[in-house]
Amino acid sequence: MLGELLNPYHLQIVSFVLINIILGISIYITLSSGQLSLGNAGFMGIGAYTSALLTINFEVPIILGIILGALVAGIFGILIGIPALRLSGVYLAIATLGFGEVMRVIFVNWESVTQGAIGLSGVPHLGREVFKTLTAIGFDPEILGLKNNQFIYLIVVSILLLINIFIVWFFVRQNKSRVGRAFAAIKMDEKAAESMGIDITYYKVLSFTQGALLAGFAGALYAHVMAYISPADFAYHRAIEILIFSVFGGSEVIWGAIFGAAFMTIMPEALRFISEYRYMIYGAILILMMAFRPQGIIDVSLLQWFKKIIKFRKGTDHGTGIKKRH
Amino acid sequence: MVLELKNVTKNFGGISALTDVSFTINEGEIFGLIGPNGAGKTTMFNVITNMFLPTSGEINFLGEKISGTKPHKITDKGICRTFQNIRLFSQMTVLENVLVGRHCRSKSGVFSSVFRTKSQQSEEAMTREAATELLDLVGLSDYEDVIAENLAYGQQRRLEIARALASNPKLLLLDEPAAGMNETETENLFDLIKEVQKKGVTVLLIEHDMPFVMKLCDRITVLNFGKKLAEGTPEEIQNNKDVIEAYLGSEEDDDLDA
Amino acid sequence: MLLEQLINGITLGSIYAIVALGFTLVFGVLGIINMAHGEIFMFGAFIGVIVTSVMGLPLWVAFIAAIAVTAVLGYMLERIALRPLRGKQGVSHLAPLISTIGVSILLENLSHHLFGAGNQPFRNAFAEIQIQIGSITIYLVQILIFVISVALMLALSYWLSKTKAGKALRATAENLETASLLGVNTKRTITTTVIIASVMGGIAGILVGMAFNSVNPQMGLSMGLKGLAIIILGGMGNVKGAMAGGLLLGIAETLIVAYGDSGYRDAVAFITIIFILLLRPQGLFGKNTAESGR
Repeated sequence: MLGELLNPYHLQIVSFVLINIILGISIYITLSSGQLSLGNAGFMGIGAYTSALLTINFEVPIILGIILGALVAGIFGILIGIPALRLSGVYLAIATLGFGEVMRVIFVNWESVTQGAIGLSGVPHLGREVFKTLTAIGFDPEILGLKNNQFIYLIVVSILLLINIFIVWFFVRQNKSRVGRAFAAIKMDEKAAESMGIDITYYKVLSFTQGALLAGFAGALYAHVMAYISPADFAYHRAIEILIFSVFGGSEVIWGAIFGAAFMTIMPEALRFISEYRYMIYGAILILMMAFRPQGIIDVSLLQWFKKIIKFRKGTDHGTGIKKRH
Repeated sequence: MVLELKNVTKNFGGISALTDVSFTINEGEIFGLIGPNGAGKTTMFNVITNMFLPTSGEINFLGEKISGTKPHKITDKGICRTFQNIRLFSQMTVLENVLVGRHCRSKSGVFSSVFRTKSQQSEEAMTREAATELLDLVGLSDYEDVIAENLAYGQQRRLEIARALASNPKLLLLDEPAAGMNETETENLFDLIKEVQKKGVTVLLIEHDMPFVMKLCDRITVLNFGKKLAEGTPEEIQNNKDVIEAYLGSEEDDDLDA
Repeated sequence: MLLEQLINGITLGSIYAIVALGFTLVFGVLGIINMAHGEIFMFGAFIGVIVTSVMGLPLWVAFIAAIAVTAVLGYMLERIALRPLRGKQGVSHLAPLISTIGVSILLENLSHHLFGAGNQPFRNAFAEIQIQIGSITIYLVQILIFVISVALMLALSYWLSKTKAGKALRATAENLETASLLGVNTKRTITTTVIIASVMGGIAGILVGMAFNSVNPQMGLSMGLKGLAIIILGGMGNVKGAMAGGLLLGIAETLIVAYGDSGYRDAVAFITIIFILLLRPQGLFGKNTAESGR
């Protein structure tokens, strides 16, 4: 029965959604301290190439490869984040976009290592590797009524789902803490934040690095889910796509990035029947969004409204009578 | 002696905003800084908190030289300020604003925050407790969850004071705390600042409301065109010829009764 | 050899300068980065292909057609993607950046649909005509491109400094509110600016078609990114800086291809801007103001 429900194609889309959610969160985190970075495609590429090259050439286990990929991207994040402190707004956006382009050019031209524009194929596949290990100890997907490829994709989705839950949990908690408050304070008024004793340099670099680390992590996962990467995967279009996740979904709250990533990944698939026009529709949506709801679909007041509804259903709405988030 | 300024000068390009200003503030005092608009009062605040570096001169806080220290470290050492044109974190709730003010008196990092270690939890609880107490002090305890920008003007000013107090300052700098307040609000503010003084906090304030300043302050320094014009008790200042002349001469209508 | 490369570089650079002028005009007046500029440029190039190669009409007709089409695109960009965001409460400064990205995605995919995804040859009658001066070969096309670019720059400079509309534009760039108080019709000025910027892009599109004999839907992106790099190099909103920055980048790229590794040609622009932004955020030719780069 499970076997009929699980369509490998759908599972694959779900895994793209989950990877894109990590990317959406990666840009949200840097935005939450008031920095717009368009370099996350570049960091994603660093993570992907690092892990792919390590696993292909040195037979490093996938898990270690992914962790190292994320760490290397994080280190690049520190290196870029410190000089980037001098920039803000549009200038930071362009400089980081430039960084992404430089990374792409390096991936294309460093042929002896990266295979150039052709890309790296034969990257160990996360699902297949786990599957191999499981079958080696005598596990057969038939027990669950699944075909091998269904099972492989299911493994990928399950692992990504767990990672997603962890990441969301991590950042929701961080947001509610002293660190998250420092980010928000810097975003709202840098000078006032500094006057309140917040070390601007530290927190801005921290959030930039967290974004880079997450993007690198997503990139490494991407490499092992696709089993093939090429410089085009981490080019301008990816940078813009990541930006759109957060902007469309809502850049004020983490749920915005999550919703944006999920919606923007599923929509083009759902619109496949008019595939010739789907990216034009994608563009039109962006234009309309900015005109009618520039803060993105999900914002603070929508979340409040949701909470109220839930509270109301539970019958615990006391109503303090004070005007809250308007 | 809490704060000591020695010959502080601040130039912007060729223009001198502060020239050779010296004064000292004693512990527990409420010290007023007055003068016509453009006299360099806010610049003085910015120099004390090191938002600007002084061009020359020395600033000592509790016997320690502080000029050149980063602004966030100044807060850490015990000087905190409010702003003339209110700079709250306008999208945060009232409570969150005060919690941010508590930043330098707490130390939880990313991991202790995410994994909610015991020390983080007790720190967070203490932070909240301190914040609620301060909101109580400034009379905003009913507004904890209100978004700061939705507060009335006078309430925003009080919240800024609570936020600054959250950093446990030894010296509190208030930049025109009574500006835009009505009579009752000003009276409440008066009581609040006296209360703050009782808690052992030294206060340095800039204010245009002369009756308020004269009633509140222990000592006053008058700035005019970036130079110190006079210093003394409110009585001395009120009877100082230079001061009267400076005020009447430069801005007939604006300042004495503002 | 070097001289020939320099001539190639100046040809390329003068096209870059025209593209960058379009960016810088819009940034100067509206303070936004028009991410759709590259795609409008690409549309200009395709109109050139259709008029000359497909319909077999002379080059000057192509220019007129491209100017007309890109002017319409510019007008639509302003009406649909920019004006609705202007003066609205709570709109972040990133909103126009994103809505112009929307326009660029729309136009890029529209051109896939209209013109096909591949390369289109751009033919013109004098592609092969060349002049020999000593050991140096100069193509007639190169001279033509250079002359058109310089003429365009001169015309723009004249228009900005001498005409009433140009002065209105500069006043608006200086301060929108003040200009409005002084009686400048800022709405019309902004529309004019976006249209002129788009037309400059369209003309540059034909020039690129002439220079490289080939046109494709992806060229908008790479040209757009380079245009961005140039206005950073020259100082955002700085007209003379855009011209000088364009020439510099054209020459630098040509020299890299001739004497270095051609693969890194596209990185030149970005490595330059990263350094410029960090060392001199106001651009090479910008005035040093306290707030620049902030």
